[in-house]
Amino acid sequence: MSTQTADRLKLIWPPVLIAVLFLSAWQLLVVVRDIKPYLLPAPSLIAENFFGDIALMWQTALYTGTTAFLGLVFGTIVGLVMALLAQRFIVVNNLVTPLAAGLAAVPIIALTPILNNMFSITSRTPRVLVTAIIVLFPIFVNVTRGLIQVQPVQLELMRSMNAQPRTVLRALRIPNAIPFFFTAMKVAAPLAVIAALVAEYFGGPQQGLGSRIAGSAANTAYGRAWAYVVAAIITGLMFYLIVVAIERWTTPWTGRTRSA
Amino acid sequence: MRNIARSRWTQVVSLAAVGVLALSACSSSDSSSEETAAEETAVEEPAVEEDTEPEETEEAEVEEPAADEGCAELTPASLQLQWFVQAQFAGYYAAKDLGFYEDNCIDVTILEGGVDIVPQTVLAQGGADFALAWVPKALASREQGAGIVDIGQVFQRSGTLQVAWADSGIESPADFQGKKIGNWGFGNEYEIFAALGKEGLDPASDVELVQQQFDMVALLNREIDAAEAMTYNEYAQLLEAVNPDTGELYTADDFNVINYADYGVGMLQDAIWADEAKLGDADYVDLAQRFVTASFEGWIYCRDNPQECAEIVTANGSQLGASHQLWMMNEVNKLVWPSPAGIGIVDFGEWQQTVEISLNSPNLEGATVITSAPPAEAYTNQFAETANAELTNMGLDTTGDDFTPIEVTLNEGGE
Repeated sequence: MSTQTADRLKLIWPPVLIAVLFLSAWQLLVVVRDIKPYLLPAPSLIAENFFGDIALMWQTALYTGTTAFLGLVFGTIVGLVMALLAQRFIVVNNLVTPLAAGLAAVPIIALTPILNNMFSITSRTPRVLVTAIIVLFPIFVNVTRGLIQVQPVQLELMRSMNAQPRTVLRALRIPNAIPFFFTAMKVAAPLAVIAALVAEYFGGPQQGLGSRIAGSAANTAYGRAWAYVVAAIITGLMFYLIVVAIERWTTPWTGRTRSA
Repeated sequence: MRNIARSRWTQVVSLAAVGVLALSACSSSDSSSEETAAEETAVEEPAVEEDTEPEETEEAEVEEPAADEGCAELTPASLQLQWFVQAQFAGYYAAKDLGFYEDNCIDVTILEGGVDIVPQTVLAQGGADFALAWVPKALASREQGAGIVDIGQVFQRSGTLQVAWADSGIESPADFQGKKIGNWGFGNEYEIFAALGKEGLDPASDVELVQQQFDMVALLNREIDAAEAMTYNEYAQLLEAVNPDTGELYTADDFNVINYADYGVGMLQDAIWADEAKLGDADYVDLAQRFVTASFEGWIYCRDNPQECAEIVTANGSQLGASHQLWMMNEVNKLVWPSPAGIGIVDFGEWQQTVEISLNSPNLEGATVITSAPPAEAYTNQFAETANAELTNMGLDTTGDDFTPIEVTLNEGGE
């Protein structure tokens, strides 16, 4: 037990040290060269804004986090359904794959204003849809691959036992796809936060991180803007860590080769 | 498949980069701003040469004919706009195209703005010699260390409106309670907060504030109850839209227009800002004086020739339709003229009102534009006064006391 704690500490101290050194150098640079806040705010100023208004930071992050969560759930469900259909029906695969790729290539900056006008700009809906579209693609691509790329030997065994496609799916394909799913989720979860945040740049309710980062920056309140950026980073990290935790909890046998 | 996925990531990364672009604009460090303190005395200097013509000595013998012959060489100078080329900046484009800058021995490059460009920060970082900015936003930057000075208050009054449907029952800021109130964000919304504060409404709980896109669709679709609009731009967009019920364009009768200036919460807008640190340098002071004088001459010309100025702006690449451009020119003239004390002179009462609102109107986050009153050096009238004297000597009317706007008929889509 104690060796495990020691191992963890060994893992943790290098990044912490680098972070501390980096922030100290930043602070030193700002103080020594007397750099004005409108050019580069000092870490101390950012911290002051962040901790000075921690309740506001939490509310703001919660608003954007909720958008990101809804978009993530919606996008994941659609991505999974599409992957299942694509695996089962080759027609669907040929039809949906280029469509999904095309959809994923539409820039947020073009998509959001259109969705804002199609759905009510005063609601969260357009932002959730933007997030879902961004999330959908990595989920779809990875899970489809996981469903299709099964061991030929196992597939032949199932077939020799006259297994129904449904059984093959349940017993072979889905278990095979689970690591792929979690890999996709680890990418999609922080991405959902970024998408939800960027979608706020184009109008709508103003209590989220994106609106406030843009608003603070426009008012040359960079200390406050960066405090919101810190809140955004923490939100993104939380999303990532929650996915990692769910992965470890549900499939403890995967992804642990490192310690072996 | 993998390639597609990879290009997707590059794209996402670049999108994320776009997201923080506004912030990273501050990353390049610059030494010019550090001299600010040392050169405080700068502001007094030009007073010495108040009566002399700003041109170089060669000009002495060629008094009357085109002064550009008197220039040994043109001094290059750049002006950072807040937005793309449009009639809002007509005076500068007119001064450039009609040779007023050249007459004053300046070769002016006009830099267009955009959503993420903060002109006063560009100025403070040395990216431009002069910049246009709204006063409250520039004061916020000044408080954060950007050494900038208002040297020409071209727009004498605020052009911000809040527009609601005529049948909405919204006739004054007091009626905002419980309504969905559109605003632009990006520091352009403080008059709304000031008006709410004056009515005793809490922006966080008594109204639902919604950020508008850069169009009026949300109001036309009745998704929001009132939209923020500039007299010279977005209000015209409403009057250029077709009413689906009648097939005709909407008219002023379809809307209730709340002019923030009428409620005592107007804030000073477009002004010419200069680099405070460089105002210690006699060459820069001289350049600033010539730039201000020539720019004001452009604005005087546009007051008297709105049609021609609208065409000049269009010829400079503006994408706006002809009737929209002329409307904007006419409305902008109303913001500049009359200038009771002379063009570009800061009215102390208006300045104080702007400062008061900036200090005392908290936004949604509880933050105010500035936290302490700006020092007296934040603006100076000396450049405008000298310019007014010179232009009056040239026989030009610098106050526009009998200015009468023209009538502009808007066509569908502003064409």
